[in-house]
Amino acid sequence: MALLTVRGLSKRYEGFALENASFTLEAGYIMGFIGRNGAGKTTTLKSMLGLVSADAGQVWIDGMDFRKEEFACKQRIGVSFGGADYYPRARLSDIASVTRRFYPDWDGAVYRELCGRFDLDENKRVRQLSAGMKVKFSLALALSHRAKLLILDEPTSGLDPVSRDELVELFQRIVEDGEHSVLFSTHITSDLEKCADYITYIQDGRITASCDRDSFTGAYRLVRGAASQLTPELLPRLMGVRRHAFGFTALAEAADLPLLSGLEIAPADLESIMIHTSKEGFSHEASAV
Amino acid sequence: MKHLLYKELRLAKHPTMFLFLLFSAMLLIPSYPYYVAFIYTCLSVFFVFLQGRENNDLSFTALLPVRKRDIVRARCLLVVLMQLAQVLVSLPCAIVGARINPLGGNAAGIEANAAFFGLVLVMYALFNLLFLPAFYRTGYRVGRAFLFAGAAVLVYIVASELLVQCVPALKASLDTFDPATRGTRLFVLLLGAGLYAAGSLLACLLSERRFARVDL
Repeated sequence: MALLTVRGLSKRYEGFALENASFTLEAGYIMGFIGRNGAGKTTTLKSMLGLVSADAGQVWIDGMDFRKEEFACKQRIGVSFGGADYYPRARLSDIASVTRRFYPDWDGAVYRELCGRFDLDENKRVRQLSAGMKVKFSLALALSHRAKLLILDEPTSGLDPVSRDELVELFQRIVEDGEHSVLFSTHITSDLEKCADYITYIQDGRITASCDRDSFTGAYRLVRGAASQLTPELLPRLMGVRRHAFGFTALAEAADLPLLSGLEIAPADLESIMIHTSKEGFSHEASAV
Repeated sequence: MKHLLYKELRLAKHPTMFLFLLFSAMLLIPSYPYYVAFIYTCLSVFFVFLQGRENNDLSFTALLPVRKRDIVRARCLLVVLMQLAQVLVSLPCAIVGARINPLGGNAAGIEANAAFFGLVLVMYALFNLLFLPAFYRTGYRVGRAFLFAGAAVLVYIVASELLVQCVPALKASLDTFDPATRGTRLFVLLLGAGLYAAGSLLACLLSERRFARVDL
């Protein structure tokens, strides 16, 4: 069953527009929401949650229409925009004491257990937490009210590699039971290589792909060749062509593999897909040359 | 709503909310512009909103399972509670002050009588009407909202004091403890209470409507 369904979400600002964003996340999976800075990741998440008033579109959480059943939907989700960035002088116990009142399903025993597991001292103030601990505190709050869907905006940004790895492992443990899901936006693609089951890719306010990770990366190949191999016939088939002293590097669609004979072909990873497609969108026009 | 109010009192409170209540004791001073004690409440409201902005209160609250309009409603309720608390704490001070000076004789302004409290409630209504919707137009421009609302409150105080002191009929009926004109003063009190209730409700509704359009 889909824990999250987003259909036709649109929001227009001066100079930026989120256009017709649609994707679905089933229970038991981790979805990475990727895109470069300013592509519209946070706008999408905020529009989904009603923090930004969307011009159009619908969101269902656990089968419920978010607009019609906002209270019930919010009971089922845990949200963090970059960790706990509020009330820096408040103690964790104060924040928890306030938060638990809003959730009938709040489980104090789970909260205490998570605080212990995450080494969170309840007497500490929010500002005394490191960036990683702030994210963990947000997760502890979310999991204590039995949130089924965690929506996290850039949870691993600004964290050291060890903390990022810990969080990624934690996300994997959360979805293990098949009832929880995690949607997290990031531009750190290495985190997604480790844990994401699905990838939703946003470019300039448009969702250009939303599928399982292997299908996403499998649809492309990283191509390298000598400058002389970059023929006018080949050029329209390549994306984000980068010329250098030894030749060129570009991205190509896997479907065009027969046309790429003689070139060095390698599997494309998320980072290379982001880099090469971001240079010119999904257009095959190679403006770089 | 009670959970949001708890959040306001637990996290959004500012020390001046309680400290400025003590300023009600100004009503014991024999000659003093008694409005000053109530101006501090407006200042305290400003501090609560300013502190809320600095603490990203809206980021925290908007993610809780509450409707956007309830966030505004809870904060408006807090403001009303602060103002009514100031009035309630001032009442015994005004009664004791009247016992100390039964003939009145406040050389600095209107006596702290029933009419004065009615005029104070109108002042609060004016403040709420100007401050709350102005703040919730953006959710962060607290200084600008307070500048206009505070200026309007000062103009109101000067205008009401001038009217009471310069119009003989008003001076005779409002700036006194004379039992013969008690009815007029009670009427002003009731009128003030009605205007306060209507003004604060309107301020809250306007704020809710404006905040619904704000993108956080």
